[in-house]
Amino acid sequence: MTMTTKTPTAAPGAASIRQPWTVAGHVLPGRLLLGSAGYPSPEVLHEALVASGAGAVTVGLKRMAAAGGDNGFLRGVHEAASALGARLLPNTAGCRTADEAVALAHMAAELFDTRWVKLEVVGDEHTLQPDPWELLRAAERLVRDGFDVFPYCTDDLVTCRRLLDAGCEVLMPWGAPIGSGQGLLNPFALRTLRARLPEAVLVVDAGLGAPSHAAAAMELGFDAVLLNSAVAQARDPVAMARAFAHAVAAGRLAHEAGLMAPQAMAVPSTPVTGRPFLLGEGA
Amino acid sequence: MTGSRPEDAGRGAGALDLPVVHVNDEGMPWREGLDLAAVVASRGVDPRAVATALNGRFVPRGQRADTPVAPGDQVVLLQPIVGG
Repeated sequence: MTMTTKTPTAAPGAASIRQPWTVAGHVLPGRLLLGSAGYPSPEVLHEALVASGAGAVTVGLKRMAAAGGDNGFLRGVHEAASALGARLLPNTAGCRTADEAVALAHMAAELFDTRWVKLEVVGDEHTLQPDPWELLRAAERLVRDGFDVFPYCTDDLVTCRRLLDAGCEVLMPWGAPIGSGQGLLNPFALRTLRARLPEAVLVVDAGLGAPSHAAAAMELGFDAVLLNSAVAQARDPVAMARAFAHAVAAGRLAHEAGLMAPQAMAVPSTPVTGRPFLLGEGA
Repeated sequence: MTGSRPEDAGRGAGALDLPVVHVNDEGMPWREGLDLAAVVASRGVDPRAVATALNGRFVPRGQRADTPVAPGDQVVLLQPIVGG
């Protein structure tokens, strides 16, 4: 399948919203990490990735199909990632045990030629939430094997600490269940992680549905966000990818600018004294 | 494809009851001297396009030819795809 020669259009000023940052020894071009699954066509996937300015793109593995190939989707991923300067981040989706995840990570490393791995070890088929014990076991083994492990985890502070102790430099706590689009269900827990783990690279992964969710995560001080369904399932994935790019940039800029502290009551912003139209006593 | 008894795990169904290897859960006839590289070759794919695991353990590409496969063994062949 030949790729479209149409040049993806970038939003005005898109280049100015790119925010390079360093993670696991590599400079990524942006703080939006994007999944590559569920797009309507390889062309849309390619254009959405480019429009997003993604710093990394997640990919996966599956049992080999009899016919082989993937109808051009992966080629779109490779071309877009190359154009962006983005890194591939293979996942261990579908794994239920540490043994499965470790084997899959090694297989992904061989096929994608990277030691980066998004570690997923799921404990429940409905919530797809991580099994923290198997996740930790897998993380320990993979760190020993020389992987840069990006664990998909819950927002539990102690579990996150154990993952950091195991050698993970990056943590990816969920905002909400995978693919649910619900946003940040527990901002208190996420805020706590940021406050208690100031040195960790924190990426909100899973459950984001709208650009405002991404902006909120960045405003909390998270280093990046990772999402897939919110773009892939949008009516216009390319435009949505662009929207998320702007939201991530805005949230990061806001965090760096210093958000004002919320107040319980009104605080007048106009510097008047008294009541301007009341003359005489009390004016 | 396989018998229900544990001792039948390496055998196919049918009158001849031939030994099999399970490749992505499909039975493949086993033969003396079968190795993992031959299993991959039998699928007609570029060896660089798949990754292999034998009985749940990753086997690097360079070790496939030196990895014998026994009746009843589980071979998994994985290919790259898009993912979230």
